[in-house]
Amino acid sequence: MAFGRRSPRSSRHPPALAIVTALLLAFLFSAAASSTDAMHNNNWAVLVCTSRFWFNYRHMANTLSLYRTVKRLGIPDERIILMLADDMACNPRNSYPAQVFNNENHQLNLYGDNVEVDYRGYEVTVENFLRVLTGRHESAVPRSKRVLSDEGSHILLYMTGHGGDEFLKFQDSEELQSHDLADAVKQMKEKHRFKELLIMVDTCQAATLFSQLQSPGVLAIGSSMKGENSYSHHLDSDIGVSVVDRFTYYTLAFFEKLNMYSNASLNSLFTSYNPSMLMSTAYYRMDLYERPLNEVPVTNFFGSVMKTLHTDSAYTGFLAAHDYATPLSVGDNLDDHFMLKDRSTPRRSNIEKEAQLTPHGWTEVLLEQLEGKNTDTVVMYGLGGMGILLALSTWLSM
Amino acid sequence: MAAHSRGHPAMRERGFSPAGTSPYWWIRPCAGSILFLSLLFLFLFTAAAASAAAPEEEKFTEELLLRPLPDRKALAYFHFRSSAPPAASVGRHHHLFPKAISQLVKKYHISELELSFTQGRWNYEQWGGFDPMSTNNAKPPGVELWGFKLNEGNLRYGALPREAVCTENLTPWLKLLPYRDKAGIASLLYRPSIYKGYYHSQKLKLRSSQSLGIILDQTLTVVLQPNTVSGEQLHSNHGQLQPNWSMRHLFNRKLSGKCLVSKSSRVFIEVDKGIVDNVNKSGSDLSWSNEFFVLSNSPDKLIKGQNHVEIQSSFLYVYDASNYTEEKPLDVGITWKLPLVWTCTPSPFHASRFLMGSGNERGSIALSFMSTNLHKQISGSPTDCSIKAVIFQVVPWYVKVYYHSLEIFIDGSRKTVSEVVDKIHVIPSEDKLLPGTLEMLLRFPCSMQSGTLTLDFDRGFLHIDEYPPDANQGFDIPSALVSFPEFSSARSYPEIDPVLGSPLLENFQEDSVVKSYTEVLLVPLTTPDFSMPYNVITFTCTVLALYFGSLLNALRRRIGEEERELKKTVVILKKWQLLASILYRKFVDELF
Repeated sequence: MAFGRRSPRSSRHPPALAIVTALLLAFLFSAAASSTDAMHNNNWAVLVCTSRFWFNYRHMANTLSLYRTVKRLGIPDERIILMLADDMACNPRNSYPAQVFNNENHQLNLYGDNVEVDYRGYEVTVENFLRVLTGRHESAVPRSKRVLSDEGSHILLYMTGHGGDEFLKFQDSEELQSHDLADAVKQMKEKHRFKELLIMVDTCQAATLFSQLQSPGVLAIGSSMKGENSYSHHLDSDIGVSVVDRFTYYTLAFFEKLNMYSNASLNSLFTSYNPSMLMSTAYYRMDLYERPLNEVPVTNFFGSVMKTLHTDSAYTGFLAAHDYATPLSVGDNLDDHFMLKDRSTPRRSNIEKEAQLTPHGWTEVLLEQLEGKNTDTVVMYGLGGMGILLALSTWLSM
Repeated sequence: MAAHSRGHPAMRERGFSPAGTSPYWWIRPCAGSILFLSLLFLFLFTAAAASAAAPEEEKFTEELLLRPLPDRKALAYFHFRSSAPPAASVGRHHHLFPKAISQLVKKYHISELELSFTQGRWNYEQWGGFDPMSTNNAKPPGVELWGFKLNEGNLRYGALPREAVCTENLTPWLKLLPYRDKAGIASLLYRPSIYKGYYHSQKLKLRSSQSLGIILDQTLTVVLQPNTVSGEQLHSNHGQLQPNWSMRHLFNRKLSGKCLVSKSSRVFIEVDKGIVDNVNKSGSDLSWSNEFFVLSNSPDKLIKGQNHVEIQSSFLYVYDASNYTEEKPLDVGITWKLPLVWTCTPSPFHASRFLMGSGNERGSIALSFMSTNLHKQISGSPTDCSIKAVIFQVVPWYVKVYYHSLEIFIDGSRKTVSEVVDKIHVIPSEDKLLPGTLEMLLRFPCSMQSGTLTLDFDRGFLHIDEYPPDANQGFDIPSALVSFPEFSSARSYPEIDPVLGSPLLENFQEDSVVKSYTEVLLVPLTTPDFSMPYNVITFTCTVLALYFGSLLNALRRRIGEEERELKKTVVILKKWQLLASILYRKFVDELF
């Protein structure tokens, strides 16, 4: 009897119930998708050479090669922190003053005319390195010596020098340990100093240096695994010392073929290393990185390429994010990057992104309430749970 | 209502009636012309005022001076001046003057600042010590800073003797110029040839006052070996010709025109007193093509220079870079025809400094003066004259100088301090806080051939964290500055037009005393065994581990347990013995 009476009602309510649960699920998905909240809008590079003395010329050449590559592909000096522990170019033992080469054919002068070194000589210490990463400087430190990144930054961190099992030697007098590095990266993540971080290490037993990392959004590659040495590539008999390391040499061989408009992926870079040529195994860890490597262009880290969005309407500045009455004409490509956005706009562009997936008015009001808690999926799940409870009680009360 | 639709009748009357109908028709054209004339006068007045206040705008000039040196090298001196008028007239907007500098001046109320980055040592014996170039541009190796603040009489001084100077120091210096190194004279700066030189020094000099505004002088002094293709050139008289060089040999490029925002852009070739005297002695004149040398281009102007006693001391050939373009670049150079040997005027005494003593506990700093007999050249040889010298020395705190141990030797014989020293001012050092400063005014007899001052010091201890990574290299004592206040190195150019407006020559005309810097001293301090902290930790932990291990072992053991263990083993042993004896008896019984 009750069964008979219930069926016609339940045949009326399922459509409403289905709509409510569908809305809630869609909302939950959007909430889950918004865990990486900010858009990628700038690139930084921190290039560190930790070795001193003339016979470590190749480490300087490694770092300067990366500096040249990164500048050539678009990152300006203002967003590069270059730390060189000794002066090779104007070293009295250098028979080519103001010139640093990474090949014995001397075709490329890595030092160039416009090099800007931010930390030089005795300033390259573990303390300064960790201060650069975490941003905890004394107030007198100038802006050119700070990494002023935000939650939309991709940072490339390249370290070279002498290293070993879970450590990297700084200037022959102190060491950076893998747990220190992991701690600094964790602090960076807490303070939203990066969106994605690529760590590249060219030392002996390099892969052990990032073995303690646990922060999400970090990708790391080392030139050799535990127990293996990294070797130099060749000796320049004119200069008298080895001029480049194998891992960096093959990295450069990959990048010299590229220009700013190439879309070679990180996967092609990482798989281009041949262990027999390197004489070590280049090991990378991507367990903390969520994007598949074949979709990430190398210019996301090594260059500074921004895509531009064409709009037919006039540029109305920040109002465009809220003004749903005049939507942007390129509606299908909201994953593209915006040019010249500042810190406050990633949240607004996030609002736009979610507005595409769910009806406008309701989510906008809700998200306005939740301003500031942008990755708070617990709240989203809680709301979803409440909604489900509501639906259940409605169904039960029928 | 009809009135509204057609407009108010009174208004229509007072409206714009055509000219001629109103009784005051002549006022309007008169008023109009008066207005027009007044506007015209106002315009002219402001234009005149603007042109009269033409100095009230930012200016930039660039100049280059090239000079052959007696030891087959060449000196290149780049001079860039930016000036900003006083702040009240121009506000905060700058279009040529670097904003960073004006902000620095305003924030710290700087009245004078000089910052130099130098690599190499100025060779006073060969390159001179008496002319404005060596006085103003010979700087100690490393970084040196002199500063004065407005309304304060204190001098601020700092020196970093071991700072390496390379391209990365030149980059921000060039960024202060309006065109950086993309156009004008700064485009000649080929980095490998600058840093291959024997001496290079980049300097920034800032002067600011309420009336003059801010004047920023950026200079780069380089001593180069010109890379001429021809090697040794022998002349028929078995002398050796000086190397021929041009701008292309020095900088690998030519000057293709001036910087468009610069007020003037000039290249000077200077031949100094030694050459001038030689040429005059042989009877020829100093035209740009004479029997000793010939210049590659004909100069736009010739200027004679005199020193402070009105003797001709240099000759300048001036080239205006605005006459040259990209298609017809300027590549001025000098070709020698006859061998010529000359010397540059030295300062009255050659000052040098060295360390004495051995061991890691104490030592002595010695400052020696060798006479160059300059006073004989200048003022004859009076019997009772003396030369004043001022010594300024800063010594870091870990070299603890005992100022009471000052000893002075003149020509080998010891003199009392009060005979030679007129004034002495000491700021003693404070451990880890302040370096020690010494300033002395000495009076040397003119006839002195060599004089020496010695000061004893103790070497201090540093904390293990204060040692640099390459601690065994040693620590540096910055250069001492020796100046001779009675000798002026200023030049005068009586024949030039003051409107020539050359800041380089203005600087040379400024009154400045003869100065020279001594060498930087390297003091090896005792270095600790840096592995000792690790050793101590290892040993201590081993000892503690052994102690606690055995202690715990001993504490864990129970007395009765041992005896019971012992009994058990004894019982087991007895059983085995019994078994063994039974078997033995059986075996023996069987045998017998």
